[in-house]
This record gives sequence, structure tokens and C-alpha cells, in this order.
Amino acid sequence: MRWRPFKEELFNHMEGRVLFLALGTGLDIETFPPGKTITAIDISPKMLEVAQPRIASYEGEINAHVMDVHSLEFEDDSFDQIFTSCTFCSVPDPVGGLRSLRRVLKPGGELFMFEHTGSRYYPFKIMMDVMTQLTRRFGPEMNRTTVDNVLAAGYQLREVNNLFLDVVKTIKAVNPA
Amino acid sequence: MGGSMDSRLYFVLGDLASNILVGLVVGWLCSLIVGVGWHMFLTMILTMVIGMVVGMALWIPLGICFGSMEVMLPTMFGGMLSGMVVGMWATMTPLAGNEAIAIGAACGLIAMVIIWILNSSLRGIRSYEAEN
Repeated sequence: MRWRPFKEELFNHMEGRVLFLALGTGLDIETFPPGKTITAIDISPKMLEVAQPRIASYEGEINAHVMDVHSLEFEDDSFDQIFTSCTFCSVPDPVGGLRSLRRVLKPGGELFMFEHTGSRYYPFKIMMDVMTQLTRRFGPEMNRTTVDNVLAAGYQLREVNNLFLDVVKTIKAVNPA
Repeated sequence: MGGSMDSRLYFVLGDLASNILVGLVVGWLCSLIVGVGWHMFLTMILTMVIGMVVGMALWIPLGICFGSMEVMLPTMFGGMLSGMVVGMWATMTPLAGNEAIAIGAACGLIAMVIIWILNSSLRGIRSYEAEN
């Protein structure tokens, strides 16, 4: 609820061939701009089953597939844009996942991310390291360095927008031509 | 960089309420646990940990209402601050429950103000276009 306006603003950039990573139960669908054709993936078939009513009610087209980001089944350069939403806190190999996305993103294509990351500032860094020991048992890690991971995967950063401290942020990057 | 904190009233009041609640709960708990004459430094460590744990515990219901990260960090920070202040205070002089609650609530409020100030300097857009 708190992040909805920021997600809407980010997802408003959707144009062309769009890939949305980790659709889950489809909670983000209500923040998508209408009239788009979106390819969405998620590793969990059960999550996509729950998402079906939201997919059906979207005013556009969403083609959802069960797929692991580390082994995408799309051809190279399949997409103009890729969007992620609170995903790369949970992906087991974040740099590998981002590299895999880069393969299917055309040269010059754009990566748009809404993520929460670790903080560079004490005591928040310590608190998030402590929290991660608990949260990684059921999914997300609170101390990921996602901006560094994006760079390590070979993208060029365009913009980082800190929404809450340096923890909740949007990241815009490009697959270099 | 730099920009205003969330100005939506629901979340402003939610942030304040969350942090005051955590602060006063931690203050009250620490006043029950700590005795006069305890080693101050060790007590400070113990009560900071208690504050962080209480902040983590209350994060779950409060985060659902007011935002996961926006609740987690301030309440853990405020919990630690409240625990530290009340814990150290209680080693020096007996604290009544209502006094500890008031001190804890004040610490929670102070923690929220600190977070707001930090957020105002960190929040905002950094462009990398020129570098690329």
C-alpha cells in the first residue's frame, strides 16, 4: 500500500516487449498501466494459479509462465524492457539472475527495478544483517547490495531513486549496446 | 539527493504511533527486568538487544499496516534507543512503570525524528547519465 504510487510511476514506463519478473500472486498487476502486452514469469506454479483472476481482469494481456530466472527459456534479445518488484532480495544467485535477464534484453533495452536493499549506514547496516539471519530462513535477505549486483551483471546505471533511506529504491539501468 | 519524507497523513501518523508504541513497550519491559545497581554497560547491551527484539516482533503487524521497511528500521532503532536509555536509567534509580513508559515513548519519538532527518538527506534521485 505504501509503495503503490512509486510502483505505478515506475511501471508507467512499460513500452514494447515487456518482461515482468516474479509475478507471484499478481498483487502488482493493479499497478500496471492498462493496455500493455506483458510476459510474466514466476518460479512457483501455485503462485501463478492464485494470480489467474488478477491476470484475467487486467486491461491488457499478460502471458504468465512458470520459469526460473536463472534458466530463462526465451531467445536472446527477446525484450525491450524488464521489470522487477521486490525480487532480487530472494533470488538465490542475484548476479547470475541479472546476467540471465541481460541475455534476453535487447542491446539498449531498459531494466526497471523496485527493490529493497541493505543500507550502507550504521546502525541500519547492522540491524539489517541481524534481520537477514532470520528472514533468509523463509525467503528474503534484507542486506542485498542490488545496485552493485546490477553493475556486476554488466548493466549501465541510469538512475537510482532512494524512496526510504538508502533501503527502498528504484533502479533504472540499460543493457549496453 | 534529499527530499521530504512520506507526507501522506496515514503513514505519518502510523510511523509516529508505531515508534511510540515500540518505545513504550520496551521501556516498560526494561523497567520490569533491570534492577538498581546492575552493571550499567552490560545492562545497556542487554536492554538494547531486548529493544531490537521487541522492535522486530512488533514489526510484523505494524509493517503490514504501514510498510515493511519503513516500520522495521525505525522500530528496531527506536527499540534499541529506548532499551538503552531506560536500561541505563534503571540501574541508577528505581523507575516506576509509568515513568519508564513515558521515557520509552519519548525515545521512540526521538528515534522517529532522527530517521526523518536522515531520510530527508538520503531520499531522492541520483542520475548516472553523465557518467555513462
